[in-house]
Amino acid sequence: MDEFFTAPVVEKQAAVIPDALWDMTILGAGPGGLTAGIYAGRSGLNVIILEKLSPGGQIAVSEQIDNYPGFPDGISGTELVERMEKQAVRFGTRIVMEEVMRISKEGKLFVVTTTGNKKYRTKTIIISTGADPVKLPVPEEEKFRGKGISYCATCDAAFFRGKDVAIVGGGDTAITDALHLTRFANKVTIVHRRRELRAVKALQEEVFANPKIMFQWDSIPSHVIGDEMVEGLEIENVKTREKKVLKVNGIFAAIGTVPNSKIVRGIVELDERGFIKTNHNRETSVPGIFAVGDVRDTPLRQVITAAGDGAIAEFSAENYIKLMER
Amino acid sequence: MEKLLKEQDVQYIKELFDRDLVDPVELVLFLESEGSDKVTAANSQYLQHTEEIAKEVSEISDKIKLTVYKDDKEKEKEYGVKEISALFIQGKNSDRNVVFYGIPSGHEFSSLLEDIVNVSQGTTRLSPASKEAARNIKVPVEILVFITPTCPHCPGAVKTAHQLAMENKLIKAAMIEANEFPELSKKYNVYSVPKVVINEKVQFEGALPEDMFLNKVLSAVGESQE
Repeated sequence: MDEFFTAPVVEKQAAVIPDALWDMTILGAGPGGLTAGIYAGRSGLNVIILEKLSPGGQIAVSEQIDNYPGFPDGISGTELVERMEKQAVRFGTRIVMEEVMRISKEGKLFVVTTTGNKKYRTKTIIISTGADPVKLPVPEEEKFRGKGISYCATCDAAFFRGKDVAIVGGGDTAITDALHLTRFANKVTIVHRRRELRAVKALQEEVFANPKIMFQWDSIPSHVIGDEMVEGLEIENVKTREKKVLKVNGIFAAIGTVPNSKIVRGIVELDERGFIKTNHNRETSVPGIFAVGDVRDTPLRQVITAAGDGAIAEFSAENYIKLMER
Repeated sequence: MEKLLKEQDVQYIKELFDRDLVDPVELVLFLESEGSDKVTAANSQYLQHTEEIAKEVSEISDKIKLTVYKDDKEKEKEYGVKEISALFIQGKNSDRNVVFYGIPSGHEFSSLLEDIVNVSQGTTRLSPASKEAARNIKVPVEILVFITPTCPHCPGAVKTAHQLAMENKLIKAAMIEANEFPELSKKYNVYSVPKVVINEKVQFEGALPEDMFLNKVLSAVGESQE
């Protein structure tokens, strides 16, 4: 049985004073935002983190993280994030569950407005809103989402006990998900558009050794078949154009991410895919607004890089505050 | 049985309860013995753990009282128990309408703690507009929230549903741990969590912000309201 009971720290922090002037407002409590929160708290800044769902961001659904230094036996995403939260709260950082609706400028300050029309006046903003999974590119996506199509193997794998499932993708997430799914599913087929996987070698070795996992190389999904629920996935071979149908009840997609940058669209500069452009100080095109982790134009989207970004952005933001108050 | 809560977490929860609990809260837990039609291969292994965690949480503060009913059909009827285990959070703003079916473990443990605080304070964290809309509902509403303990987006849906129930006694809100109730999950075609079912007719998957969640509730009661 894999139960766990840990006390969420979010509830035990100091109260948020209304109308306070914040040194730093962090949007999103994933590894990047939480690291910035830890650094800011230790620097004695008056800092608040706003999170719309639950702390952790994408990494909270990761069953096992084996590439974050200091955990030789690996650690679950949930536990790693809970530790980061506790660490941030220990240094006085507030974390509140509110969704940001709007960012505006008021003289030298910014105003962050959340649901319920709450306003946070702040000297700096760190955007750590992360990214969401890319939707499965088939015409039937909307119809079958939640009816066999899933983007969270950790959440939904148990519903496919004894069934056949497909996973679309070939990166670390897809392979980790495939391995997790073998604990429940009868057979797991990995559908990947290339002839080889992008995932790291260690994961590849594990996946090739698993007798429950099959591969469909050079293939992309074209249609989802079914009446009410998913009954099959039609795939197309990108080389031969040949089509075939995999009889599956579940389709898990791990084919990259789209940045959650809507809140700053039209405010800071984005690249053509919507990721926030930053310099080496993690500054955006607007002085006083910084971006970290998966939402920015980074070459590598990992817990460790998000955390590193958080530290740099906090350092830059502190310097910005000093200059501003000189 | 070995303690489920780590000593350090007990300390965290104690600080939270000492600071935030106001009025008494009663946890009412319903269990049944092996052999009952409500105890299956899927949920039997969790019953002992559910009782243990309820016990450990209630021991942290003298404002929390645990009452356990085992094989008590009459009490079950009084509370409208649908599945076993059923854990009701009873207090100032809840009366047999805030319930967890199955174990509140994993990410849902935070829902349990937040419910206890809300009920003890007799208030919720919903926005004033949501509170008013919830209070204005004049017909019975039943909200089922299917979850798995490993789902990080699920407590949002559970907490919203439970808080709506705390605002209006006509609203009954239940968390359902999908692994423990495969038949029920099958009946409602649960293949992705959170999945919310309102009055049997409005269904949606995913964690919605409070105002959109409320709109789904209002659309479910829409016709009968007029």
